[in-house]
Amino acid sequence: MFFKQVYRNAAKNRKGNGLFFGSLVIAIVAFYTLLSLGEQDVMRFLATIEGDAVHKLMLLLPAVYILSLFFVFFLVYFACKYQTDNRRKEFGMYLMLGMKRSRLFSMLFGETLWNSLLSLLVGLPAALFLTEIISLVTVKLVGLGIIGHHFTLSPGAILWTIGGYILVQLLSLIILCISLAHTEPAELLHSDSVKTQLEMSNTKSTISFILGVVLLLFAYYLGLFHLMDLNYATPLLLFSGIVGTFLLYRGLGEVLGKRIRRKRPGAKGLATFTGRQLQENVLHQYSTLAISSLLLLLALSCVSYGISLGHGNARETRSTDFSVFGNEQEIHHLLDEKEIRDIVKTSYPIYLSRTDAKINTDELAKTLREVERGGNIAEYLSCERVISEGSYNDLMQAMGKKKLELSEGQTALFSSMNDGYTFSTLDSALKKGVSIKINGTNYSLLSKLCHDNIVADRAITLSTALIVPDELFSKLATEPDPFCTNITLKDEIINQMGLMQAIQKMDSILSKTGLKYDSYLSGIGRNLFYTVSASYLTIYLGILFLLIANTVIGLKYLIWQRQNKHRYLTLLMLGTGIRELCDSVKKQITVFFSLVLGVAAISSVAAVCSMFSGLTRLPAETSIHTVTTYALIVLTVFIIIEIIYIKIVTRTACREIYSLETEERRDAT
Amino acid sequence: MDTERILQVENLSKTYGKASNKTEALRGITFDVLKGEFLGIMGASGSGKTTLLNCIATMTTPSSGRIILHGQDLSKFHGTQLSDYRGREIGYLFQEFELLDNMTARENIVLPLSLHGITEKKAESKIQDIASKLEITDVLDKFPSQMSGGQKQRTAAARALISNPDIVLADEPTGALDSQNSKTLMDKLAEINWELDKTIMLVTHDANAASYCTRILFIQDGKLFHEIRRNTKTESTADFYERIVTVMAQLGGGSANVL
Repeated sequence: MFFKQVYRNAAKNRKGNGLFFGSLVIAIVAFYTLLSLGEQDVMRFLATIEGDAVHKLMLLLPAVYILSLFFVFFLVYFACKYQTDNRRKEFGMYLMLGMKRSRLFSMLFGETLWNSLLSLLVGLPAALFLTEIISLVTVKLVGLGIIGHHFTLSPGAILWTIGGYILVQLLSLIILCISLAHTEPAELLHSDSVKTQLEMSNTKSTISFILGVVLLLFAYYLGLFHLMDLNYATPLLLFSGIVGTFLLYRGLGEVLGKRIRRKRPGAKGLATFTGRQLQENVLHQYSTLAISSLLLLLALSCVSYGISLGHGNARETRSTDFSVFGNEQEIHHLLDEKEIRDIVKTSYPIYLSRTDAKINTDELAKTLREVERGGNIAEYLSCERVISEGSYNDLMQAMGKKKLELSEGQTALFSSMNDGYTFSTLDSALKKGVSIKINGTNYSLLSKLCHDNIVADRAITLSTALIVPDELFSKLATEPDPFCTNITLKDEIINQMGLMQAIQKMDSILSKTGLKYDSYLSGIGRNLFYTVSASYLTIYLGILFLLIANTVIGLKYLIWQRQNKHRYLTLLMLGTGIRELCDSVKKQITVFFSLVLGVAAISSVAAVCSMFSGLTRLPAETSIHTVTTYALIVLTVFIIIEIIYIKIVTRTACREIYSLETEERRDAT
Repeated sequence: MDTERILQVENLSKTYGKASNKTEALRGITFDVLKGEFLGIMGASGSGKTTLLNCIATMTTPSSGRIILHGQDLSKFHGTQLSDYRGREIGYLFQEFELLDNMTARENIVLPLSLHGITEKKAESKIQDIASKLEITDVLDKFPSQMSGGQKQRTAAARALISNPDIVLADEPTGALDSQNSKTLMDKLAEINWELDKTIMLVTHDANAASYCTRILFIQDGKLFHEIRRNTKTESTADFYERIVTVMAQLGGGSANVL
């Protein structure tokens, strides 16, 4: 009997609350995808070349997992609250019929466990399927044919997913049971009462709203213009952003009230009712709105940041495949071997050396200070290394790019710092026409920055160096021998075997020679690692925040609608048609969601801009334009997801309205 | 006179459940309501009086029989016609007021009109008239939570009357009020019935409230079994009250049967 009841109630809960059940399944998929990261092809590949970094990332995963649990807890808590609130009368009835509270709670735990089990049965296979798809797509995208694809099942990830998921479910239920344990049966039986209509005083609300707007604008200003300059900007920004959002929503109820009063004399149909419903919702749930809006802001920022970062790293260009260090003759000898000759397209020495010459960069520094945020670079500007024009041109030729043609008395500035900030600042300064002095002689600088990496691995970076004509190089260089020899593989071999396999083949030959070398593979590894760790984690968190924010808003609305269903019954009696009621509900839900998304969207544009211009540095050639484009794409995707959520919530709400018509007739008996 | 008949209830039956579980709430009730009448429906709990009111209000569908308002059969109403009937032709007064608690009194009153495309601006003089008649002018911009029970029920009465319905259906309107507020409400309803010639149909347990009616139908076990009329010219409400109580005692075993 007991188990039959548990089974029936659980089925009823799932049916009546598809939105919540669906969100739980997505949470399970998210948990497993995160926890099984180490088992995915891309990570197994990275572990072979970037073992330490991957290890560090794996150490970070438990923290992300706990953070996810924390947020998923809220989702589950609200959903459980929605379900238990809907069943308060039923619980009151059980207690009045003599059911012990302990038995009632056991029944609730039984239902939760049964539904958890079912959502796991749906969610885990879906998660396995998704991780396999991710693995296959990544393998295809980055050409990791070398390791091939294996079906991976991570028992650890499954156990932690199940454990974490059941833990948050039980914890939410325990908290709700504690509150139920202190509620009298009479209170449970008369559970439809709703908070009385309360309005804050007009002045207080208006002040709150205006202060909220001012604080938010102040936060945007700090984020966009002062994040880099002031030490106290970040805590101040967080404070004004969060408090501003809360105050804005706190005062929004009165703003809506004013609008209703203004529009009321000419309002028709359910316009005033719809407005009042919204106003009441905002008045009573301003903190939920503020939290959801902040979560959506986090989601929008995380996802656009993750995608842009991934995109930026993925754009890194391949300048050379190998850089071999060592004795010139030894390298020549090696390159003569047939096995190597068959796969090498070209090889050339790179002349890079320190210089003792006095290089005066005062004019460049002065120009840099005139460029926006150029002060930092100007302060630490120094040119202690020179590169021969010949070797740089060999590199250009191997890459199929146009050679440098330095005229008499001209040099070029080189920097391999691949963040957008350094690149764009130096490039802007050079465009203004700058010259430097080498040992007192004036040399003009080429008006564009040279940034193609002169070695295979990006780990070796040169903040600034001078590219000088070969003749001048021989005068200035303290180390006349080549710094390294660059090797580029034949295109037909790459086409035939794939870049990764071709590099691996050469790698296996070079590893036997005992020579020191860097390969593009390690660059790729690092690149992929950044892409995976930064993009994957931020996108993961973004999606989780999005999911939680939307589910919380949706559930809060549905809980509230159910608490106030008597209003809809009255309206039906007053002659309102079901369709009109549903239209009002649709409007309420759309505006309710839009109120949250609107503020989040505006804040996120400011947040994304400030993130890329202040806190972090973009990879070379990734312009703010690209980032904004990505943020807009993400925003569009978010709006589509919001529309889907609105549709689901509207459908549930309208289903409840339709059921009222039947209820009205039943109650009338 | 036939033209004075506003509502005709013909052989109305309502059955709940099936086969052995069948309950007959109404068993072929027939009566007419005349224009300007203040009709009371009284009976013991479970006698079927609220079911009768709900059938007239289209909240529940009768199993057989007809309800005709101005010559139109209510069972034929669907969709917009049904909404129009509920919003324009009847006014309903609930025991628990059923005001929308997130709307002000003014917004509640104007709601039936705005549902039919009439704005507050156009209805302003009507709102003021009805509010002053029911003495709720000073609470028009208050929310229900800021009003007394009596004010709430008078606001609900204003809402029921604003669209100038043909008939006002009141289901135990004094049920949630104290005696003073009950008296005020019934005085106001009687005044409206008398001055505006408004037809009112009142379902009640309360002999005091029923004494304001001009005619009372007594229902028992789903059947109409007695009817009394008040001679408004010669009989005071107090006298009529005595008669009601006597009839209740004689026919139903007194208050024990009513309650």
